[in-house]
Parts: sequence; structure tokens; C-alpha cells
Amino acid sequence: MSQWDLPAPSLVLGTYHLEAPRSMIFYVIRRLFNLIPTFIIATFLAWGIIQAAPGDFASQFAFNQVDPNKAERIREVLGLSNPWYVRYFYWLRNVVLHFDLGTSMTSKASVTALILPLMRNSMVLLLPATALAFAIAIPIGVYSALHKYSIADRILTVFSLLGLAVPNFFLALIVLAFSVQWFHAYHWFLLPTGGMTSTDFSSFSSWHKIIDVGWHLIGPVVVVTLSSLAFVSRVMRGEMLEVLGQDYIRTAKSKGLSERAVNVKHALRNAILVIVAIIGSTLPGLVSGAGSVEFVTGWPGITPLFIRSIFAQDVYVVMALLTILTLLLMVGNLLSDLALAMIDPRIRY
Amino acid sequence: MADAATSTRAEAAQATPGSVQGASLTTIAWQQFKKHPLARTALVILGIMYCLAAFADFFAPYPEHQINPNATFEPPTAVRFLDASGHLTWPYIYAQKKSIDMTTFESVWTVDTSHAYKLRFFVHLRGVRNRYVPFPVSLIPVQLRHVLGIHGWATLHLFGVADPSGQAQIHLLGTDDLGSDVFGKLMFGARISLTIGILASLVAIVIGMLMGGLAGFYGGWIDEIILRFVEALSAIPFLFLLLTLSAVFYPLHLPSTTQFMLIIVALSVIGWGQIARAVRGQVLSLRERDFTVAAQALGASNMRVITRHLLPQTLSFIIISMSIQIPEYTLAESVLSFFGLGVQPPSTSWGLMLSTAQSFAGVTGLTDRWWIFTPGVAIFLAVLTWNLLGDGLRDAFDPKSRR
Repeated sequence: MSQWDLPAPSLVLGTYHLEAPRSMIFYVIRRLFNLIPTFIIATFLAWGIIQAAPGDFASQFAFNQVDPNKAERIREVLGLSNPWYVRYFYWLRNVVLHFDLGTSMTSKASVTALILPLMRNSMVLLLPATALAFAIAIPIGVYSALHKYSIADRILTVFSLLGLAVPNFFLALIVLAFSVQWFHAYHWFLLPTGGMTSTDFSSFSSWHKIIDVGWHLIGPVVVVTLSSLAFVSRVMRGEMLEVLGQDYIRTAKSKGLSERAVNVKHALRNAILVIVAIIGSTLPGLVSGAGSVEFVTGWPGITPLFIRSIFAQDVYVVMALLTILTLLLMVGNLLSDLALAMIDPRIRY
Repeated sequence: MADAATSTRAEAAQATPGSVQGASLTTIAWQQFKKHPLARTALVILGIMYCLAAFADFFAPYPEHQINPNATFEPPTAVRFLDASGHLTWPYIYAQKKSIDMTTFESVWTVDTSHAYKLRFFVHLRGVRNRYVPFPVSLIPVQLRHVLGIHGWATLHLFGVADPSGQAQIHLLGTDDLGSDVFGKLMFGARISLTIGILASLVAIVIGMLMGGLAGFYGGWIDEIILRFVEALSAIPFLFLLLTLSAVFYPLHLPSTTQFMLIIVALSVIGWGQIARAVRGQVLSLRERDFTVAAQALGASNMRVITRHLLPQTLSFIIISMSIQIPEYTLAESVLSFFGLGVQPPSTSWGLMLSTAQSFAGVTGLTDRWWIFTPGVAIFLAVLTWNLLGDGLRDAFDPKSRR
């Protein structure tokens, strides 16, 4: 999903290049204001899609023999009898004015209270995986580009092609089946068989707790990292090759600069820009990839809740998750653009 | 083939003496494509896979929806070539018998060597339930077939065993939780898993080119609206939007053909935005490019400018973006079906088959029931070969990435 999410760098550069230099703060404010219509359209779109499903949360009580009016009453209480676009504006008002994402229909709890701990769990999986993916992929990409068509480059290319093709839920499934089988054979856990914590987690000391979560992280993080590794390293290799073919690299070499100085100071510094530019746009792929891994390994993140809520038509939970993820992506993109603007002197804001 | 390509070029040059005639886009593309051994191999493998999917009824030893509650998780049947004395003989199989281990209450399959069943090729399965409609005819809807009076059906299978009693069954990749043949199911599943990517990317490209063309051509508020919409669409994470979209129709329990089309719609509704954005950019720049202006200045009609100068450029783009999208959509469909929101039984796809692998792997699934993981390998192979083919096509059609 991530390959096509690349923003065309020339387009980004072009837009800002034409504008008169203004202070960074104005640029940030303008970008933030630009987010508002996108946010409203995106949430309205999501709301419309959710509401397009036939029936609602109350439909499951429609054939209650004891209390035939139960569905209608529930509908009245939850405010489901209003038209869907009216309810969108109620929802939007509550979100914007009170930061209130609504009440879950299934658990009767506040959606915010329901989501926050799960959101934290997802971040515990996502952040190390992202950091690890970039930390490994950038050196691999640079190495491949500097040793183009060498044996190591060919092997890495083959591996990244293989990595791009393995569905990560399948990889997670294999890892899980492997750890179950390991326990069955040797009666001790090499890797945990899913979840985020051991059964007697609450009795652990705080250090032990961290180690326990870290141990549970190994499998999911490895799977998520592997699946994004291939993409990032390929982008890095391509960009590095592109830069190495530029005239100023030849000039630098003909000036008599050492190979190392040319590669690091002239090539890498320019090639790394594309990584900064794609961090924002790889986030959706990473979130989605981590989502299916969460689902398979039983990681108590947002995806299992999302799937459950979708099947139960628990509108507010689905909506809240979509909203938060959308916000996250928009902010991620903004930050990546800002970082790019800061380190790339060609970009005027 | 190189000779053929150059000779057509030479002929073309001879046919119009005096004019400078370059090689056509497809000729150049084919010449470039041939430099990619991996892409050519991928093309062959994909061809085989699509062939197996198309004629799945023929290649599979048993009909599509055949289940057998008494033969769940039967291990793969070994095809034997050597007889008891170690001499090469006509391939044969042994029947497998199920018994219950009384200590663990697990079913144990043992090979019954009392009777060897010969492998037969081009067998006809008897009985109405074993009939199938062969491939090109099966694409015609049933109602239309009735109207046209086409009642073609066949019973021919590539291989099977000579056993009238039905004791011996040949399952090259074992059976799943319903007792259906995994080898056959892989090919029937390929019909959905392999076509959804192509169809969805076609729909996405049609919508994307239309919207992108409108935005680029008219500009103004149409451009603004479409761009805003695309931006909003891409702001929602792919997987979650896809799940939400598919969940819309989930409560309706639609027939599997409708469900199949809805998955295509869902995938393309999400995917068209990227194409629209790129096409818009292309239209904007192509309109201002020197060669377009030059062609117009030379008196070329709008139609000629569009067909001879603009369309060839978008053709490369379409082929490149299709080669990127098809493997992505194939993966997305498998994720969706794996989550239970995609293809619904009795239809099958590789993702759906893997969801049974998740439920029924048990504690020693990797060694004892390894064959239920094979759909994952099939997805892997399909996505890998599409990616390789895409690399080759990109090099062939994109002048910038040529070696």
C-alpha cells in the first residue's frame, strides 16, 4: 500500500519554491488551517460510509419477542432516530468543543477511556518497529547503492523483493505457529504465543514488567519491521543512485575529494531528504501493517477493537478510531514536511 | 524475436522513405522487456498460474464445493513410482485410513498398503454432482446461457485414481477443515485472488483518469473539489478505510458474486485518488509542453494531438501504475478475506483459506498440518511475480529507468 503513497518530491519542492519566503510560524499556521477542511471532509466521508451500512446497533434487538419495542427505545435513547448527517454535526460539535468522542454502545463506556490504553499499546508496537525499520533500511539502501550490482547488492535486492511479497499477517501466523510448536515440543516458551503480557503480569516487579512486554514485542516488531524494511531500503537505494548520478558528484570527485567525503557529505545528505519526505507517507502503511499483525498475534491494540466494533456496528468507536488515525497521519505528514523544510534549504516556506 | 523486431523496424523505415520513423512504443518496450530475465520468468510463472486458475475444474481432481466430513485434515497423498521390489512402475497411491488415538483423542491417519490404486490421467468423474461448466463458457452468466441455449458441461479431470468404491482419494496437498482438497481449492481460490487485483486496478484507473483528467483540464473549482476529496481519502489509513467500506455490505449476506464485485468497488474507491492526482499533474504539464504546442502550431487537430502525443504518454503511466497496484490489491484482498470481511464461503480465496489455517493450526500445525499454510505461499508467489513483472514493465515503458 505504501509504494504509491509517495508524494512526488518535485511537486512538493515546486509548490513551495514559487512562494515568497515567509516566516516559519506563518507557514505552520497556514498548514494547520489547511488541515481543517481535509479533516472535516475525511470524517464526513468516514461517517457516511459507516452510516451507509443497513441497520444500526439497535437492529439486533428488533426481533426481541419479550419486548418488541426494545429496538425503537434503544434507538431513541442513543439518538439514532435522527438523520445521519444531523448526527454527524452533533458528533463533530462534541468532538471539537468537548473532545468527547461519544459513548461505546456495546460497553457503555466513554470511547476515549476505551481507546486510550489500546492506543498506547499500539504505539508500543508501532514506534519501535518504525524506528528499527528506518535504522536498518537506510544503511542497507546506502550500501546497495554504493556497491551497485555487487553480489551483496543482488542478494539484498532479492531479499527486499521477497520481503515486499510476503503478506505480514501470514508471517505473523507462521511466527505464532512456530512459538506454539516450540512450547509443545520443549515445554518452555522461546517466544510468547500472542498477547502483550504474561498471565501473572500483575504480580511482576516494574522491571520485570518491562522485560515481559519487551519479550512479547519481539515477534510482532520483527514482522512489522521486516515488512516495511524492504520498501524503505529500496527507496533509499533508488534515491542514492539518483544522487550519485548527478553532475555535482562528478565535480566533487574531480576536485579530488575522497570517496568517503563525496559519499557522505554530497550524496548521503541529499539522498536522506527523501527518507524525511516519506516518513509521513509510510505511516499509513505501517499502521495498516501493524494492524493485521495485531489482529493475528492478539496484541491488545486498536485493530482487534476496530474489527469487533465494525461487526457490532458500534459507530462511535469505529468513528473515533478512524478520526484519531486520520489526525495522526495528517500530523505525521505535516511534521515530515516541516522537517524537510528545515533541513532542505531549497524549500521556501 | 530480436530479429523480428528489427525487421519490422526496417520494414517500417522502408515503407516511408524519406521520413524519419522511430520504433513504436510497444517495440521499444518489448526490446527493453527482453533485457529482464527475471521479468520474463515472472511472466511465464504468472501465465501458468492464470492457466491453472482458468482451467481449475480440469486440473483439480475433485469438484469445487466437494466436502468430506470424514476426511478432515487428511495428510497429502504420496504418489509412488517404485513398487515393493524397488522397480520403476506406473505411478500409484495408497489409501489413507483414519483412526482415533485413544489417549489423546486425536485422529491419526495411517497409510493402508494393502492395495495400490493406480493413478489415471484424463479421467471422467461420474454423477451429476461432478459435472462442471468448462472455463470460457463459465464466464457467461447462467441466465444468458439458458437464453442462448448453451448447456455445455464436462466431467473430464487431468488426473484421478481408479477406485470405484471411493476408498482411495488423491489429495496432493491434503484436505482442510471441511475435508475438501487443498490442491484444488488453491486453484479455485486463485480465480478470485488473481483476478481481483486486475479488475480493481482497471476500475481504479478508469475512475482516476476521468477525475484526474477533469481536474487537470477544467481547473478552477472542479479541480479544487476533486483534489480536496482525494486528499481526504488518502488521509484515512488504507486498511481501516477498506475494512469500514467492506463492513457496509457485510450484514446483507449477499451472494458471492455480488460480494466479489463489492470488494473490487471498495478497493478501487480507495485506489483511484493516487491515479487521479498523477493524471491531473500529467494533463497539466502535457498541455503546456513544447511538443504539444509545436504539434498544434503545425496545424495538427486536437484529436491528433490527443491520440499521437498525449495518449502514448498516459499509456506508459497506466501500465506502470497497474503493475504497482495489482500486487497491492491482491495483498489487500487476502487481508480482507483473512479478517472475514472479504470473500465469503462457499466461495474461496487464498486469504479466506489462511483464516482457516489460523483457526485450525492447533499446537503442532507447522509440521502436522503444514499444507493448510500453502495459500500463504501462493499469495507470496503471486505478489512476487507481479512485482517482478512490474519492475520489467516499468523499465520497459519508463524512459527514465531504462538501463
